[in-house]
Amino acid sequence: MNNDTIQLHELMLNRGTFFCYAGPLSEEVLTSLSSVVKDQLTETDSTSPITNKVFSIFVEQAQNIIRYSLDRLDKSGVGSVSISHTNDGFLIEAVNEVDGKSRERLEEILTQLKRMDAAELKAAYKQRLKQGPPEGSVGAGLGFIEVARRSSRFDFAFEEHNGQTLFLYRGWVNTHA
Amino acid sequence: MKIPATSRTPAVEFLPGLCTIKGECYPEDITEFSAPVIGHLREGISKAKEYKVEIELYYFNSSSAKFFYDFFEYLDESASEGTMIEVVWRHREDDDTMEEAGEEFEEDLEHVKFTLESIG
Repeated sequence: MNNDTIQLHELMLNRGTFFCYAGPLSEEVLTSLSSVVKDQLTETDSTSPITNKVFSIFVEQAQNIIRYSLDRLDKSGVGSVSISHTNDGFLIEAVNEVDGKSRERLEEILTQLKRMDAAELKAAYKQRLKQGPPEGSVGAGLGFIEVARRSSRFDFAFEEHNGQTLFLYRGWVNTHA
Repeated sequence: MKIPATSRTPAVEFLPGLCTIKGECYPEDITEFSAPVIGHLREGISKAKEYKVEIELYYFNSSSAKFFYDFFEYLDESASEGTMIEVVWRHREDDDTMEEAGEEFEEDLEHVKFTLESIG
């Protein structure tokens, strides 16, 4: 038991993870977490445009879990969100369960976005704003484009784990672009 | 008419011929925030020959982007129908994200006079 606690402590410190939440996420929980994350980000020595980008990716990832995590508790989506320091800035990570259909959709959207440069991402964003949300989307369907635009780079993966398909979503914000 | 800021919504104020929006926008429920704002805006514009909107945002999320898009579309429509409409978009000097956001909204406006202003 003590070992477990020490391992968690060391893991978080060693990987520079200064914020982590795992469990049911609702808009109410996000309101509370946002104020903590903001305080933590303003305490770092980075300038505000950098921390704004980190915060922006954090909010989009959290809302994605709230709305689309397959694992649900009332209005909450279960998942985890975390923010870590890297050598060159910040890493924002999210994990939640998805079903096969969402996996296909996510893979298609995110693979497309990964190939786009800044100008193409801007065009995609504007097109989405004009057209409104795609079918099956609660938000305007802009969140993934927002993460792609605000991050220095992003990646994603799917892992089969204990009978669940987990969606891993990571964004990096570099202090020196 | 004042709508006070919350931790996730900006302060919005309506005076005759003027609307100011200042703060951050990532509400829990965008419609709950946007419906009264659009309502007051319509009312204000219907009574004015000249109307000014001052916006100073530090952050807005992707769900709010759609609201601002519709907001500007309405302003442009009103301007095309004869109301003189001016928008001042203020952003912090080093905030490239909000500066870009202002530029991107401006690109779609044909009838509104739009000014980007950098603040220290």
